[in-house]
Amino acid sequence: MESLTETQWDVTISGTGIPQSLLALALSRSGKKVLHVDRNSVYGGPDAALSLQEAEDWVSTVNQESTHLPFEEASIFAAPVSESTSRLSSSRSYTLALSPQLIYSRSQLVPTLVSSRVYRQLEFQAVGSWWVYKPTTGESKGLYRVPSSREDVFADDFISMKSKRTLMRFLRHLQSQLKKETEEGDGSVVEDEDLAKPFSEYLTSKFQVPPELYEALGSLSLSQVSPQTTAASYAVPRLQRHLASIGVFGPGFGSVLVKWGGGSEISQVGCRALAVGGGVYVLNSGVDSLKHDEQPGEDSRIYMQLTSGETITSKYVVGSNWDLPAAAGVRCDYDRVSRSITIVSSSLDGLFPITAEGGPIPAGAVVVFPSASLGLTDVSPPVYITVHSSETAECPSGQSVLYGSVNLPGQQGQSLIADAIDKLLASNAGPDARVLWSLRYTQLGRAVEGDTPANVVSGNLVRFPPPSLDLAFDDSVIDLVKDAWIRIMGDESSPDHFMKFEDRESYDDEE
Amino acid sequence: MSDSTPKPSSSVKLVLLGEAAVGKSSLVLRFVNNDFQENKEPTIGAAFLTQKCSLPTRTIKFEIWDTAGQERFASLAPMYYRNAQAALVVYDVTKPSSLTKAKHWVAELQRQASPGIVIALVGNKLDLTNDGSGDTEADTERDTGAGGDDAGENQEEQEDNTPGDARKVSTREASTYAEEESLLFYETSAKTGLNVVDVFTAIANAIPESSLKSGRGAGAGTGQTTLGGGRSTDDSRVNLGDRGAATAKEGCAC
Repeated sequence: MESLTETQWDVTISGTGIPQSLLALALSRSGKKVLHVDRNSVYGGPDAALSLQEAEDWVSTVNQESTHLPFEEASIFAAPVSESTSRLSSSRSYTLALSPQLIYSRSQLVPTLVSSRVYRQLEFQAVGSWWVYKPTTGESKGLYRVPSSREDVFADDFISMKSKRTLMRFLRHLQSQLKKETEEGDGSVVEDEDLAKPFSEYLTSKFQVPPELYEALGSLSLSQVSPQTTAASYAVPRLQRHLASIGVFGPGFGSVLVKWGGGSEISQVGCRALAVGGGVYVLNSGVDSLKHDEQPGEDSRIYMQLTSGETITSKYVVGSNWDLPAAAGVRCDYDRVSRSITIVSSSLDGLFPITAEGGPIPAGAVVVFPSASLGLTDVSPPVYITVHSSETAECPSGQSVLYGSVNLPGQQGQSLIADAIDKLLASNAGPDARVLWSLRYTQLGRAVEGDTPANVVSGNLVRFPPPSLDLAFDDSVIDLVKDAWIRIMGDESSPDHFMKFEDRESYDDEE
Repeated sequence: MSDSTPKPSSSVKLVLLGEAAVGKSSLVLRFVNNDFQENKEPTIGAAFLTQKCSLPTRTIKFEIWDTAGQERFASLAPMYYRNAQAALVVYDVTKPSSLTKAKHWVAELQRQASPGIVIALVGNKLDLTNDGSGDTEADTERDTGAGGDDAGENQEEQEDNTPGDARKVSTREASTYAEEESLLFYETSAKTGLNVVDVFTAIANAIPESSLKSGRGAGAGTGQTTLGGGRSTDDSRVNLGDRGAATAKEGCAC
């Protein structure tokens, strides 16, 4: 077999995060000679899912050489063993996702996974209820279930009749707009000059929605800033996405998560597809330095030194800022959020009710703590806790995994998340429920609001922009991967053939 | 065959590991297509195949990931064995170094794979030994240790090496190791088909019920009561298949 150095690679992909792995999938039947490297020892890059032991190793890596991962300030807290009778299981009983994301049924990722046939290797589970923490509502244990359909609104016994009427009017408006957009078919958003207002103002001035519903409606948009500082132009389309996604794959839910660690599974099915297609995989090896051919042209190549010492050449090189040497003269500014992964000794069953008749048992739930409920001002960011049950196989039964996120970096953000988790356990778990273990870190990326991201291209070198910090899968990833794929394929393939594959083996779909 | 109600069906992810040219792909080909190819090309990267295995109470659908033994960077296997419920570690009974490599794989699986993974150690190419020629009842004989031979290992190896017998790894050596590590153990011939289906059936039978129902979480608990009792994977699984396909085409499925 030829060595890495002797092979004239068509494409070198650096890093195994979701964008790179989806590109691997897209190239899996291209006939190109593809080398896929990752300097880490596990697949997934920023989307990796870790065992407890891997998490410990990851923390030291992040704190020692943070330039290679979009994370900072990582630390682990473990409860003393004697403190509680319920204890952590073995390291590999856990699969903890560094960047958990909800996948809306209407996300572009779904048709991509289906047309590329890899969805068969993934197991999807429903995210059921959205909850907002209201310290004042004693009888419903502090958590208020956000109504997200007309049936929900009718059944709601918390909001007043008047509020129900305004809410119904607002939901009807969103749905009729959606219908209009679908009928016109050009995907153009209906013009609405009120969308320039803050979300809270939009709700009240246009629909007389009372302030008591701001937070609930804001939570459905997954906005990481308060309703007072969220632009309506951001929140409204996302609310529409939420509503339009419900029922697509079954009654009562609009988003799914991937069993066994979320994005890490998506990344691995992409890599497996390329491995089956003949791609060469090397873990523990990154791109240390690279230089372009002196004379740019059709056949110009990029020369790279790998961390393993080998020198390779490739026509195209694709990666992210963390997987490739820094580009000279380009300053990178990233947004930062605090995140944490917490294992608790309670299954928190109350958070996962079946949300509609005939619907699946949800494996995920979203709990939002408005800033005021944590003792901050109205305009401070809310804390999101995405709860995964043991059905996700991320933890043993009798436990659950809480993924916390707040749009405030550092100690301040971490203590808000910790406070929110304490409140969640106090109000919804038995008296013995404890935090068994938690991993805290700052994540770097691209703020959710802002311009449409684009690949940074210099010659045949393509850099994916920083990953979105959105709590839902960011559809622009698909466009970025397609852009890289089109550059590599050139005239060899029509853009229409992107990610469209036949099954490699016969399947009977009766099951 | 003529059951009126279909048996419950569960998918099992299985990964094949082992040194190059021990016959991993040939074992799969025999199991999936009941076929054999002389001088098969080496696997590039990996291959994915599926095959059903019918047990009295349920149907197991194996999702088989066949990895390239020539893989030089030890980087492919981790993307397959994570979450795999079963592994088939293959060596060649005529090549002692392949058993050493198999032991490395077993150690890596025990270190890195899911805690409840079922591992089968398989010595292939039995057709090249005297045991493989026509003696299909080799199973019981092997379990008692190559015919109750109480001589030392060297002697036994010499005995195994009768003219025309290419065996270099004694059954006893491999089965003792398999017993120590709690592995299923079989010697097979992908060429004649000897014991091939048996390996997969044994694996299917060895997968714990709990892991079929709710993944690895259930088996790895700490003895606490399962508050979500009665939940099963089937209850929480969301099917993207048909509806997803419709979405891709029509843009609206609701």
